[in-house]
Order: sequence, then C-alpha cells, then structure tokens
Amino acid sequence: MNKVREENIRELLVRYLDGVSTQEELRGLGEYFGNTANLPADLISYAQMFALLDEKPKTPTAEALDRFSSPPPRKRWSIFLLPLSAAACIAAFVCILLMSPEREENTAVAYIDGKMVDDQQTAMQMGLEALQEIFSNGSQEEQQLSELFNEQ
Amino acid sequence: MKHLLITLMLLGIALPISAQRGLHINEVFEGNVIQKAGMHKTLIKGESLEPYKLTVLHTAKFTAGSLLRDKVEALFSKDMGEHPSDKDNIELEYRDGHLYYAVVQIDDTRGGLHRYICYQCRSNAATNNITLAYMEGKATLADLRKTFKRK
Repeated sequence: MNKVREENIRELLVRYLDGVSTQEELRGLGEYFGNTANLPADLISYAQMFALLDEKPKTPTAEALDRFSSPPPRKRWSIFLLPLSAAACIAAFVCILLMSPEREENTAVAYIDGKMVDDQQTAMQMGLEALQEIFSNGSQEEQQLSELFNEQ
Repeated sequence: MKHLLITLMLLGIALPISAQRGLHINEVFEGNVIQKAGMHKTLIKGESLEPYKLTVLHTAKFTAGSLLRDKVEALFSKDMGEHPSDKDNIELEYRDGHLYYAVVQIDDTRGGLHRYICYQCRSNAATNNITLAYMEGKATLADLRKTFKRK
C-alpha cells in the first residue's frame, strides 16, 4: 500500500469529496489523519471528520434484541376478546335497527290494572279515547261541568 | 382491557339511539313510578294507526296522589326541557301551580318522524286523574288536533 504523503493528501481529499476514491485511498486517508501529529491548519477539520467516520456504532445488547424479536405472550382470554367485542357491537346495532320505530311490527295491546288484554279493538279504543281526552281538554267549561256533576 | 373499553364506548353510542327509551316518562310507562296494577295502559304500533298518520301510540291512565302527581309532572317537564322543539308546537296550561294540560312536539326521530308527548291531569279534592301519551308519526300537531279534538 502506498503511504499517503503530505504532498498528495490534498489531491486525495479532492477525489474523496468528488466520490471517486478507491478503498485503498480511503484507508490511506484514514491512516494519515489518524497517525499524523502535526497537521496543517487547513486539514484539521478533515481530521475531525475522518475521526468521526472511524467511530464504530454501538451494538445493542442481546437482551435488548430479544425484547424486540419476541413480543410478550398474550393472555389466552385476550385472544377471544376482540372478535367477541366486534360481534357484540354488531349484534347491538342490528337489534336496535330491528326495533326502531320505522320498522314497527303491528302490535296492539292493552293493560288493564296490570293484566294484559291482547285484543286490538280494545287497545285501539282505549288509546284513542285517551288521546281524545287530552286533545279535548282545552275547554275549561267542560271540566267545570264535570266537577259540578261529580259533586251532585 | 383496551378492547373492553372500546366495546363499552360503542355500546354507549348505540343504545341511546333507540326511540322512546331516551325519555324520562318511559319510567311511568314501564311501571317504575306507578304500580301497573293501578294503571290502564295501551301500546299500539303499525298499520292500525295509519289512518291517524301515526306509527306508535303509547298511553297510560292512572290516579295519583299529590306526591306521585308531582313526580310524573317533573319527569314530563324534564323531557320538555331535554328534547326541545319549535315553540309553536307546544301547548301548555297550568292551574294552581301545576301542569294541567300539555301537548308537546319534541325532537324528531332519526327517520324524520314527529314525536309528541302529552299530559293531562284532572284534579278532584284528593286525587289526580292523569293521562299520559307518547306518539310517533308523520302527523303534524294540526293533524292531531283536528283528528282527536271532540266536536
């Protein structure tokens, strides 16, 4: 290997900066900047750069590598939790959509003193009477007449 | 645990969507305020209500003392406050400091159907005869007034 001399160091640096250096020239530059004590002032910054390039990166410990390669074991029940949660949510939405008023099935039941009367006609009559009572309520006279008859 | 929380959040969003369940007066219809034994109740849904432009009619009639009357009145008033609608679609009458008559259009269903809650309390010396109703349908308040007001 040819020793890098001070005379051609600048020429090698230009080749290095142009990206055309050979491996041998790179090694020569590293040795020159690593071993030369009294560098010219204009080359000191290059010496610092090559010192940084020579530093070896820290390698992670085996323990740290293990931690990344194998995730902690999942609990058995947690494996089933996600699909079960998704199924529960879907079931809830379907139930609500089916029970929504826009899809009401025909129902007409009445409860008289807690007892169910499954008769559509009775239920309709009771329901409509209740509405008539409410909507006819506006007239105060009707109430007063009702109270008058109740007192008698 | 994270999955469980997500599930609960989704259910929390889903459940309040269903119709009458969000109303306080549903407590009365379900018999949690007045015992079912003392109540006349109807639940009608579907085709039989089509002539009235309604899809759901839920009514309850019962006699209550002053304490229960106050409780039902409070639940009804809460619903009026929490489900606001146009001021033109509210009919209210108070007598002796208590709600006597109310027909209130509350917010529509997500399907665009109108919703109404109605209340009437006829008081005698010691008792209060209360009629409560919940309705859903395309009928406007004018339609309901025209259909159900006795001539």
